[in-house]
Amino acid sequence: MKPEEMRYCSTGEVHLDFHGSTYVGLKYLLDHFGMEAVDEVLTNTAEKVYKSIYERLQRGDSSELICHWRYYLEREKCDFTLTENPDGTAVLELRECPALRQLAKEKIDDRPLICHATEKMNSVWCEGSPFEIVVEHQEKGCRQTLRFK
Amino acid sequence: MIPSDHFVRFYNEIFKYLEDKGHEHLEDYFLEISRHQETHCLKQFSEGGLQGMYDYWMMIKKEENCDSDKFIEDGQYGKVLKSFMSGCPSLAKVQDNDAGSCPLYCYHCPGWVLPLMSKVGYYYVYDLISLDMPRCQTTICEHIEDARAQLKLVLKRHKGDRTLVKWNFPEKD
Repeated sequence: MKPEEMRYCSTGEVHLDFHGSTYVGLKYLLDHFGMEAVDEVLTNTAEKVYKSIYERLQRGDSSELICHWRYYLEREKCDFTLTENPDGTAVLELRECPALRQLAKEKIDDRPLICHATEKMNSVWCEGSPFEIVVEHQEKGCRQTLRFK
Repeated sequence: MIPSDHFVRFYNEIFKYLEDKGHEHLEDYFLEISRHQETHCLKQFSEGGLQGMYDYWMMIKKEENCDSDKFIEDGQYGKVLKSFMSGCPSLAKVQDNDAGSCPLYCYHCPGWVLPLMSKVGYYYVYDLISLDMPRCQTTICEHIEDARAQLKLVLKRHKGDRTLVKWNFPEKD
C-alpha cells in the first residue's frame, strides 16, 4: 500500500512533544478512573479512530498497518527496520522508540504505561483477525512480530 | 505507538470519555494539561512576556502546521498579542476522523491556556468563533483595560452569547 492510500496520511512538520501529552492523558485516566478507563479509550482508538486498519486486519489484510508503521516511524526519524513478507506478516525492529525518546527528554520514567498503550491497541486490532502481534521489549524500543495465529 | 501526528484523535477520545463521566472531569483534565504545558511554556512566558509567547506559538505554528497569523501591537494601555487561527490543524484532524469529534473539542485550548496566562499575569480573551469550524481568535494583553475593551468587542460580535468566549479576568472592577 502507498502512504496516500492510508485513511490518515499526515504531511508537514511533526510535533514530537505530543508523545508527552499522550502519556499525560493515559496517566490521567489511570489515576482517576483506573486501567479499565485506559483500556476503554485505547479500544475506542484502535477500533473507531483506526477503523480502516482494524477492518482490514479482520479481513486478513495487514497492508495498511504495515504501511502505517513504516510511514509514521520514518516521519518521526527513529531508528528502525521493517521487514515485510509476501504473506502479509512482518517484523518491526524498533531500536529507538520515538515515544520513549520523548519521555526520556521530559524526564518521565513510566515506560510500562506507554508500552501498554501499544500492546493494548495491537491486541484489539488482532482480536477476531487471523493475526497476532508479539511484542518483545528491548532497551530503547521493541521488536513487534506480526504473524498468523 | 500512537504517532505524534495522530495524538489529537486519541486526545479527542479522552475528551469524549471524560465528558460522558461528567463535564467537571473534562474541565479537570484541561487543568492537568495546563500543568503539563507549564513544563514547556511557563519559563518562556514568564521571562519573555508577549514576545516569549509569540516565539512559542510561532514554533507551534511550524510544528503543528497551523494556518495562522500573529502580531504584537500597541493597545491603549500596553502591548497586545493578537492571533488569528484561520485553519486549525487540531480541529481539522479531529473532524477528519472515523471515530467522530467531541463537540466540546475546542474548549481544551482555553482550558489549558487561561490558567497559564493567569499564572504569568496576562489577560486573555479567547473567541472560539464556532465549535465546528477550525478558526478562532485570541488576544493577550499586558493591561486589563485593553483586555476588557477586547472582551466587550467580542461579546458584541456574539450578540451577548458567552458560550463561545473565554477570558481570565473580572469584566468590571
